[in-house]
Amino acid sequence: MTAQLVEEAREGLRQFPPALGQEFETALEAALPVLEPDELDQWLRDGLDIARHSLRSWEAASEYFRASGPVLEQITYDRMREWCAVGIDLMETSPALSGALFRASPAVLPHLSVSQANDWSAQGKSLYKGTWKSGSLSAQYFDVSPQILPHLPLSQMRLLVDLIDSLASHSYELASACLGMAPGVLSQLDRTDRAPFLEFGGIVAHTAWVDARVYFERGPGALRQVSEDQRPRYLSLAGQVAMQVGRLGHPYFIEAAQALSEVDKDIHEGLLELSEQLAGHSGDAAMEFIKSSPRVAQRLGIDDIARWQEFGLNILQQSRDGGEAFFRLESARGEEVMEALSSRVDLDRVSELIRMYCKALTGVDVGVKASEELTAKGVGWVDESSPTTEGTTIYLPENVERYPTKDENFAVYKVFATHQAGRLEFGSFEYQSAINPELFPADQNGTRNGHGNGVAPAVVEGEEGEIHTDMELFFDQFDDRRLAHDLFTIVEDTRIDTIVKREYAGVRRAFSRLQQAAIERRRPVEDMPARQAMVENLLRASLDEIGRIRWPGELAEEMRAPLRILNRIRSEGATVQDSAAATALLYEWLSQIPNVELDTEDWSDFEQEMSGDPDSGEDSDMMPGSGSSGLEESFMPFMPGSEERPYDSPDPVDFRGDFKPELVQLLMKLKGETGSGDAPPIPLSKEQLQELLEKSVEISINELMDMDLAESSGMFLDNLLKEVNQIQGERQEGQQAMGDDSTGADDGEELPVEAASFYYDEWDFRAADYKPRWCRVQEQRGESGTSNYYTETLHEHTQLVQETRKQFEMLRPEMFRKMKRLTDGEDYDLDAVIEWYTEKIAGATSETKLFYRRNKVDRDVAVAFLLDVSASTDEEIQKHHDQRQDDQFDDDPRKYLSWWAQRRAEAARHPGKRIIDLEKEATVLLIEALETIGDKYGVYGFSGYGRDNVEFFVYKDMDEPFNDKIKERIDKIAPVRSTRMGPAIRHCIWKLQNTDAKVKILMLLSDGRPQDHGYGRDRTEKEYAIHDTKMALTEARREGMVPFALTVDRAGHDYLKQMCQDMAYEVVADIESLPRRLPALYRRLTG
Amino acid sequence: MTTATEPITEYRSWAVEEFRAEEEPYYVPVSDEVEVFEAAWNNKIPVLLKGPTGCGKTRFVEYMAYHLNRPLAVVRDGKAEVESESNLPLVTVACHEDLTASDLVGRYLLEGNETVWIDGPLTRAVKAGAICYLDEVVEARKDTTVLIHPLTDHRRILPVEKKSQLLQARDGFLLVISFNPGYQSALKDLKQSTRQRFVAVEFDYPPRETEAEIVQHEAECSYEVALNLAKMAEKIRNLREHGLAEGASTRLLIYAGRMIAAGVSPRRACQVSIVWPLTDDGEVQRSIEEVVSSIFED
Repeated sequence: MTAQLVEEAREGLRQFPPALGQEFETALEAALPVLEPDELDQWLRDGLDIARHSLRSWEAASEYFRASGPVLEQITYDRMREWCAVGIDLMETSPALSGALFRASPAVLPHLSVSQANDWSAQGKSLYKGTWKSGSLSAQYFDVSPQILPHLPLSQMRLLVDLIDSLASHSYELASACLGMAPGVLSQLDRTDRAPFLEFGGIVAHTAWVDARVYFERGPGALRQVSEDQRPRYLSLAGQVAMQVGRLGHPYFIEAAQALSEVDKDIHEGLLELSEQLAGHSGDAAMEFIKSSPRVAQRLGIDDIARWQEFGLNILQQSRDGGEAFFRLESARGEEVMEALSSRVDLDRVSELIRMYCKALTGVDVGVKASEELTAKGVGWVDESSPTTEGTTIYLPENVERYPTKDENFAVYKVFATHQAGRLEFGSFEYQSAINPELFPADQNGTRNGHGNGVAPAVVEGEEGEIHTDMELFFDQFDDRRLAHDLFTIVEDTRIDTIVKREYAGVRRAFSRLQQAAIERRRPVEDMPARQAMVENLLRASLDEIGRIRWPGELAEEMRAPLRILNRIRSEGATVQDSAAATALLYEWLSQIPNVELDTEDWSDFEQEMSGDPDSGEDSDMMPGSGSSGLEESFMPFMPGSEERPYDSPDPVDFRGDFKPELVQLLMKLKGETGSGDAPPIPLSKEQLQELLEKSVEISINELMDMDLAESSGMFLDNLLKEVNQIQGERQEGQQAMGDDSTGADDGEELPVEAASFYYDEWDFRAADYKPRWCRVQEQRGESGTSNYYTETLHEHTQLVQETRKQFEMLRPEMFRKMKRLTDGEDYDLDAVIEWYTEKIAGATSETKLFYRRNKVDRDVAVAFLLDVSASTDEEIQKHHDQRQDDQFDDDPRKYLSWWAQRRAEAARHPGKRIIDLEKEATVLLIEALETIGDKYGVYGFSGYGRDNVEFFVYKDMDEPFNDKIKERIDKIAPVRSTRMGPAIRHCIWKLQNTDAKVKILMLLSDGRPQDHGYGRDRTEKEYAIHDTKMALTEARREGMVPFALTVDRAGHDYLKQMCQDMAYEVVADIESLPRRLPALYRRLTG
Repeated sequence: MTTATEPITEYRSWAVEEFRAEEEPYYVPVSDEVEVFEAAWNNKIPVLLKGPTGCGKTRFVEYMAYHLNRPLAVVRDGKAEVESESNLPLVTVACHEDLTASDLVGRYLLEGNETVWIDGPLTRAVKAGAICYLDEVVEARKDTTVLIHPLTDHRRILPVEKKSQLLQARDGFLLVISFNPGYQSALKDLKQSTRQRFVAVEFDYPPRETEAEIVQHEAECSYEVALNLAKMAEKIRNLREHGLAEGASTRLLIYAGRMIAAGVSPRRACQVSIVWPLTDDGEVQRSIEEVVSSIFED
């Protein structure tokens, strides 16, 4: 029976290709053992039915047979029949799909129940649209199902299918590629993320289908940057945004995820919540918010971010653009609010303030910079976060964020700066071996080792050219330089702190707070060996915290003496000489204290009886010498193993920062700043420096870099020499420039052919500081052409010239017009007198206002007129074409031709005007007007390339009379190169400073934003140039001048607003009106 | 023109040339300026006082006028009466840009049916033998120099153009002018031909302790406050030419001292009487305020 059935089936299959038969045989082998006869019958029948269904259905049958074996291993035949019924149904749609279904079945079955077969099949079927391409996509669906289903339940598979379906409507290739990637993509995702990932994918497919492939490729990676538990939330937010912003949705998704990776994962949740609030109003804002979060989070904690966001949200509700710019951090408001909310104080915001503050305190031109800049120089300073000074500049940490409010943090800066300024003001670096200390006179302090009073031996300027700083010679006296240096630091800082607190009562509180904080951080004294503990205690005492001194009670006397010495330095009038003397005394004492662990339990708070009067205590107590046969003896009982430990310096005190007097003196000496002012800088050979360095404990070269000593010290020397040379170089240049200045100021004479050079600083808004002598302005006469241009221009604008002249003449009479009818004045006004007299004779009473007065003698105005002659002024101006003209020819070619010929002839006679031409015309007209009114004026042009070559053309200098030469020069005004406004303005300021006038005006006429090579981080950066220009204009105002910016750039409003802020400016929208507008403006400015 | 019921006046008035200090003006000499001035006066050499605003130039002139004694002759109703030996009258003219020669010399005024000549302050000083102090003389119009020149050389003559007169200055007359080289531009300077007719006394802000003493006296505040103010001023003056056109004047310190003495908190007092008057530049203001807050605890 069975055999017969099989035989019949074989027979039936023979009409199909033999491959089918082979599959059948294989399947039969697997099926025979498990199927009952009637089941076998059914199975064979189904197979044959499938094969016979249609033309190529035998292939499906082949898959059916092949799958049968593996399937039957998993489920019973009954279930299999149910399963296969789904496939057979699919035959109606496409046998190929059916085949694909059968093919996938064995691998799919572990993941699906039989009852889900229908759903599974239906999803695949939904991709099939009756075309060949859709068929193959659908088949691909069945093919990849086994790899997808382990990652994705069938219910969620729908999402994928919808996504693919949506893509397929645009591109089958893309859909197929994505479907192919799906298993890999899904396997990279966490289980919970998969559905949201596909949901967002669906939106991407909808709004920006071309991004789908990128999404599949990069999406999982991007998503991994988001905190694990927030990923679904992020995806749904991205989806919400994408619905609003369309094509931008996907790039936002990637970029914002990138941004999130840069902030702490803990605040992702908070950020997303805030972003969700924004998404309701603007998708852009929501995403820009996240993108900005790394920068914002640097400044604000999450609570403050919420406040910042709330502020922005308010703006957003009023103005979408405003809000979006706010969150893009491109609005001043955004920065301001952030600044206001942040408790952090950034050095670049306050450096100018602190610089002036320090300048006020010290009276010298100190700079204020970030400590990093000093460490970067590699000249001996290594700590990037502590305040310090190298004698000319005060270095401070980049920001302070120690306390919860801005004021407190600023107070920290102030303490830092005040202490460093104190070192300069009160002479920490002015130690001179030749001066005797006053508080520690030599005779009182017997000298045992020859360094009792801190006076170094007289300076021996030994061999030729060999130099030593006094500080170096001082430290030379001590065997243990490190100990000496530590003691000197403590003593000197005590002195400075004391003076600062005495002199500047207002900073006392902040000072004490930092002192308190510093003391909290000290390591316990009890763990230290004896000498170290004593140094530590001295340091604590120096922080005004006698109460924090811990010391064995039995040895109290031994601690008391050094404290007394330290206390004496607090006396009024103490100098650095006294500090040195005190250091010597302390050294004497401490070097006798063995640096051993003390074996005592008797550590107790030290009782200080003499905190009040620094002079109490007899002088004899100060010295270890007299009588006490040796400190060591007192320590004997507490020294268990008497094992000497190496000495370690105490931890630094943060608000005092680094103190390197030896190095500072060396630098000053190298720079030739010490001694008599004019002494040439002393050249120092590398060998000498090397020797200096080896001695100096301050410069722990090992800290500098992880290299071998010789190499790193060599590098250090190079840096040091470089630093010194640079300063000397600048100084020489400075002298040269001064020389140039004098020639530049020479009037009357023609300028030499080669340009005179002037140097100007440039404002770096990032550093909030000037780059010193950054730009070289080359002043030169404008070339001469002919004066015809001038005359022609006047001729061309006859009407306008007359008008302008008339208007300016109206200004003029004011200065000579007498003010009449005054009760008092210079003299009688004859008319009034006659009138009065007649009236009097006639018996009428009349007023006796008979005087006149000339109120204004001079109209005292000087104007420097600065023309932008950059290359861009070469552009021709777009004429407004009158469209209607073309219609007037009625399709009559002859008319048109004659019009065209006429126009060409016109164009040949009058070539299109360029911006520069209008600038020139305007200049001519203004000159005419100015000559009428008699104001002093100069006409200049500027251009150039790079900071070394700012060309400054003089067309007419302030004090030059107007003549044909000037007219000839105006003819030759021509476009040159770039636009570096700052230095040109500064040069103009200089010109105006040297001109005598009550009202000084600086008028800047440009055709676009400032721009030059190296004027900003790169060519596209605009901020830098604008800030510098703004600063230059502000400088003009500080000099009492009236800066006025005029531009013919229609887009001028955006940057002029920033550049000029509260200064006057104007955008001349219709450029051709410039020749008319300029004189009018000038009149308004000075009228 | 006095009527029987003359109202009780609450102010006092003098003829210009009769004004003289009754009490000794408070002045603390910083250097030998008193001796120099006295020598100049004795030798009829005009004096030029140079120095920043509010450093005590005017007070110095008052002080000198008080101390330079001479027999005082008052011209009254055409008769000269020798009253007593008294201090010098002082005629002070604050110069401004509209000040003309006739403002100084005098002019005709209408009175009833006639014109009356009224002497200007300079003329009065010349006649009375007073010290005439032209404050900030560079501000005046250029035609005033025409008057100054003949008065300041050996002639000691004042031409009164409108009356076609020449006036020879009486003994005791001394022309003193002041100017502040700082706040005008280098070009708005006294002309050499004018400058070189004077001996010049240079003033600067007094040293810290002296200034404290002055502030204490004038402001009637404690010495401690005065010393702090002086210290602060010293710091602020370090900013001259670096954001500030001029340092804080002693006068401002005195104002601040008075405010403090009147109970205004020190920081606030400094803000209103020093920081804000000094500059409008926000950044400079803050810098100065930081200096203030470093020195004064509130």
